[in-house]
Amino acid sequence: MMADLPIGFWSGWIVVLTCVSLSTLAWVVLSVYFSSPDVKTGDADAHEPVWDGDLREGSSAPPLWWFWMLLGAMVFSLAYLMLYPGLGSFEGLLNWSQGKRLVSSYENYEASFDTRRAEIANLSLAEVQADPVLMATADRIFRRECSACHGIDGRGQASLFPNLMDTDWQWGGSPEQIEQTLRGGRNANMPAWGPIIGEEKTRDVARYLLDFSNREHSGRSVYEQSCAACHGAEGAGNVFLGAPNLADNIWLYGGDIDSILTTLQEGRLGKMPAFDDRRLDATQLKLIIAKLAK
Amino acid sequence: MSALSLHKRIEENTGLLIFGILLVSSIGGLVQILPVLNQESLQEPTANTKPYTAVELTGRDIYIREGCSVCHSQQIRPLIAEVERYGPYSRAGEFVYDRPFLWGSKRTGPDLHRVGGKFSDDWHRVHLIDPRSVVPESIMPGYPWLARRNANQAGDIVAKMKALAILGHPYTQEQIATAESKLEGLLEIDTLIVYLQMLGTGLDKEIIR
Repeated sequence: MMADLPIGFWSGWIVVLTCVSLSTLAWVVLSVYFSSPDVKTGDADAHEPVWDGDLREGSSAPPLWWFWMLLGAMVFSLAYLMLYPGLGSFEGLLNWSQGKRLVSSYENYEASFDTRRAEIANLSLAEVQADPVLMATADRIFRRECSACHGIDGRGQASLFPNLMDTDWQWGGSPEQIEQTLRGGRNANMPAWGPIIGEEKTRDVARYLLDFSNREHSGRSVYEQSCAACHGAEGAGNVFLGAPNLADNIWLYGGDIDSILTTLQEGRLGKMPAFDDRRLDATQLKLIIAKLAK
Repeated sequence: MSALSLHKRIEENTGLLIFGILLVSSIGGLVQILPVLNQESLQEPTANTKPYTAVELTGRDIYIREGCSVCHSQQIRPLIAEVERYGPYSRAGEFVYDRPFLWGSKRTGPDLHRVGGKFSDDWHRVHLIDPRSVVPESIMPGYPWLARRNANQAGDIVAKMKALAILGHPYTQEQIATAESKLEGLLEIDTLIVYLQMLGTGLDKEIIR
């Protein structure tokens, strides 16, 4: 619903007040310029205010170009009120509104991209990746939509947002998986293990994670009980759960012992927002996927 | 009667002059403001617009207190450049529970009306504490104290909700009674993030412009 023009009583209220104001203004202007001298006395100054019996301003008539200016303004007002919405619920002869302007500017805007979009839709992902112009566009979309979290260079930042330029993918790096991540968003859920397994076991497993290849480590039994279900017995992770690989040396939330302890004790609820049609159209989505899957 | 003789009478009579000035200066308001105040389509909340919860209201008041509205507007105009950048243009019905509204017109930073859901809570937290840790070129100041102060110190939430209830916001007795407990254990920054995440979500998700 766009047309929020007033209806009923208030529409009439606006029409009447506007017309009365305009005609009063016209009457004032016309009287000032074209009033005849007082009939009885013939005195042109008869209408001049007099204070204290004899105090007069002795004013002369305003210049004539003012008259043309005021007349022009009144004609403009009338024309405007006829053409554009202004008189209550009357939409104006041009049928113009802000909403319709937005719709029509979108029509022209979309039309200007039609050919290019159709071309891109027919390209394979590899062809898009091989086209430097398209990849430059993808870079611009990335800077606008993704860089606030993942960094201008896409290498992640703040020990919170993953590097997208390496080959390690928490939720999978195939074009289909990346599309799912972008369109639907992702909610990772690493539980807070501190209260569940206790301080001692938490420290033990944290130390094991830094010495992962050591099969004899005392933390391994805790790992197998509590962590392996999501992260896998070999620590390879699980892209369907968003459980990261723990066997490589890539640590989203920091790889020093303190950061790992914090992650284990407090849990992590990593969230990727969903990029719906409001933020990325199908073509933009394809370009971003091409950039990320490269 | 000519306008000139009317002019003579008005100039010579102060009472009439005062009345005339009030009459003429009220016309703009009578035409522009009065009908809008009585226009139901502008007062009807959009589908998902609800009165602010205790936490959202606290976050909103912190937003006002810290002067966020000095640099950020909350009003997307129906122009293609704005809709492309920020999302669907703002509807009147989304602001029915805003007292005062925070539309603004000064954009030192970007418009925030549709910022809800755009970033994760984690991002907002690090960004509010130190904006340049995630946006290197940002000129926004950091607000680290928000992460040190308790939310229930940010004003009397019950009094605020009671005042808004008097103004017609449909709060239930229960909402007001449990308001303080909702803020228990939260920091100011938590409530501000909750407020930011609900901004602009009052509009149907299907509407993309």
